[in-house]
Amino acid sequence: MTTHAVESWIEGPLARFVDDARVSLALLLHPSGQVLAQHGFTRSVDVMSACALAAAINASASELGKMLDGRPFTGLHHAGEERQVFLAEARTPRGPYIFLTVFGSESSLGLVRMYFGELVTNLMSAAPAEAAPAAPALAENFERDLNRNLAALFGRA
Amino acid sequence: MSGSPFAEMLGALTRQRGVVASLVVDEHEGMIVDAILQFGQDGDRIAALAASLYRKARQSAHAAGLGGVHFLQMDAEQGRLCMAGRNALVLVVATSPNANVGLVRVEMLRAVEGLA
Repeated sequence: MTTHAVESWIEGPLARFVDDARVSLALLLHPSGQVLAQHGFTRSVDVMSACALAAAINASASELGKMLDGRPFTGLHHAGEERQVFLAEARTPRGPYIFLTVFGSESSLGLVRMYFGELVTNLMSAAPAEAAPAAPALAENFERDLNRNLAALFGRA
Repeated sequence: MSGSPFAEMLGALTRQRGVVASLVVDEHEGMIVDAILQFGQDGDRIAALAASLYRKARQSAHAAGLGGVHFLQMDAEQGRLCMAGRNALVLVVATSPNANVGLVRVEMLRAVEGLA
């Protein structure tokens, strides 16, 4: 299973995270829901769904955090019977991204949290110096950009 | 030091000569339940990695038909990491090289009975 990224600087840090933390799925996306990198997914439709759900969960958690605690919740963990989900905000020089990962008994929440911290550090140092593309996620461009990114990740670019 | 049910146990272990950190860790989550650490020690990192190590050792012993793991000791250049577990909790103690590991071991095996 390989790691694919829309922007090449993300690929190294994400592949290292997957290798170190022993997770089965990993997804890095823009808060708008645009995918940036993935590991472990075999179908683009699954990536699309996971991105949409992760963006929605992150938006809900942020607002809930603001209501309850005066600041957004930036991390979320759900433990299922066999697999667990960890979702957190990754701040990079290119802006805040959302990170979603799924892991089983090969890993643990402690390991995932620890290696997520390293992933953020590695993304910070790997990010290119030039400014982030300033294009906002406009509704009219969203589907076109989403399809372009999915095509890049699944080799149909 | 916290007021958790493990505070007294961890305090007794930390008073042993050469003990630099003692933690009770959830074996499956790799998260700290309670700990006594020195300033600057990254308890979360110790907990995550030690729990993973203990879990793998337990699985290896089981796979080899050796039964459960009572005590796990790892000698490193600048100290030792000792682990003992019960009921999905792992007692983790980090020591300097000059620690009396025999005494630490006895104290840990006694303390681990209190992990519920």
